[in-house]
Amino acid sequence: MIDILYNAEHQEALGMLIAIYFYLTGISAGSFILSTLAYVFGQAKYKPIGKIAVILATIVLIIAPMALLIHVGRPFRAWRLFYNINFTSPISWGSFLLTLYPINCILYGYYIFKNNARMTKLFGTIGIPLAISVHGYCGFILGFAKARHLWNTALMPILFLVSAIVSGIALVIFVVYIKDKFFSQERKVNEELIFDLAKLMGGFLLLDLFLVLSDVLILLTGNEEAIKAGWLLLTGKYAIPFLGIENGLGKILPAILIFSKKLRTTNRLVWASFLVMLGIFFMRFIVVFAGEFYPLI
Amino acid sequence: MVIDLRRCIGCHTCEVACKMENRVPLGVWPAWVKQIEKGSYPNVRKSFLPILCDHCDHPICVTVCPTNASFKRKDGIVMIDPHICIGCRYCMAACPYAVRYVHPIQKIVQKCSFCSHRVDAGLKPACVEACATGARVFGNLLDPREEVTILKNTHPVQTIKPESGTQPNIYYIGLDKDAVSSTGKGER
Repeated sequence: MIDILYNAEHQEALGMLIAIYFYLTGISAGSFILSTLAYVFGQAKYKPIGKIAVILATIVLIIAPMALLIHVGRPFRAWRLFYNINFTSPISWGSFLLTLYPINCILYGYYIFKNNARMTKLFGTIGIPLAISVHGYCGFILGFAKARHLWNTALMPILFLVSAIVSGIALVIFVVYIKDKFFSQERKVNEELIFDLAKLMGGFLLLDLFLVLSDVLILLTGNEEAIKAGWLLLTGKYAIPFLGIENGLGKILPAILIFSKKLRTTNRLVWASFLVMLGIFFMRFIVVFAGEFYPLI
Repeated sequence: MVIDLRRCIGCHTCEVACKMENRVPLGVWPAWVKQIEKGSYPNVRKSFLPILCDHCDHPICVTVCPTNASFKRKDGIVMIDPHICIGCRYCMAACPYAVRYVHPIQKIVQKCSFCSHRVDAGLKPACVEACATGARVFGNLLDPREEVTILKNTHPVQTIKPESGTQPNIYYIGLDKDAVSSTGKGER
């Protein structure tokens, strides 16, 4: 039997603001990539959502770094990120990505509204790698934190990217539905478009479920700390948020609603996309908080 | 630094000396002594683990610091430049030893600096100077004639979490595995 009589515990490193930041950049990257389907890859059926998706991507990405500035202790020293650059640090990469990506979003959106197809395609093509790296680097931030076994895995960047695409599509479905239903001239929803988007989302949901499954299974066969982190998600304090909300409500239930022909209606698909957004938010929350749950020493 | 745990009596003098020397605010500790209790009555024993920054050879905090505020000096001491640190706490997330803290007044990250101002003046760090039983031995590990090198080379030594690949430079004689692990807190 071992009792800890005295130990110093310091403030946690990452908190709620970082979880919110990951969530917002994810949504932004996801909806940007969705909008390029119409304007770069020429899929005409996605044209109606292109404008909405790029506006969402820009607005969300202008809010997201605010969470970071509130999180850091000395926000007025943020210019140091561009002056004292460390090429091995993901945050250093991110400070440049977070500057270039919103500028590119604004230019891309500007040319969409100007109906300038050539420039739209150019900035859309530049934007795809930027959008992928602006969220992929978030995964590297957690992956480089070698102290925590929940974070220090090669799956983290790809897990982040897939959940980003899922949450981006979910937000676009939700906003397109609300816009068509309450603010358009005809007040009629384009059901076919929502079905198409939902099918796309369903495919990425299944990929996301597979990645989460392989992440947890490999944690459970890792070393002592990794096993502890794995069981914390399955039976510990984070079991209900992880199994119930993130994966049950946020992935499996929407996937059933999308792929079952009997259950599929437009209203249910919109509810499914709402649940997906909720589930992905809990995913960011669980990754950040469960990672830091156990003391290190 | 070598810490001889056979001599450590868990008096926390190093902790207090450190706070006085470095003017550390309330609620945070650059160096502290973890105490655990093993077994159950009547076969019970306390075990101590003095913890401070390991000044690793491959410090992950220096790798991930976005502004180069964390850096490694030529003599091996890992330090934080208080004028450059923006307080993003990424180093705290990455450090496997949890020795970094947020300075409650300056809002930047701080940690043990091996009392670099004392080392530069030819003195020993405050915790070494204050240790009542001489458990802490400080010196240049590259010099074969130093007491610290002789102790490290002739005794069974262990570091905390050698598996994390950071190559820490605090060597413990008689390190207790139960004192290092975080079990006892939380379920499983």
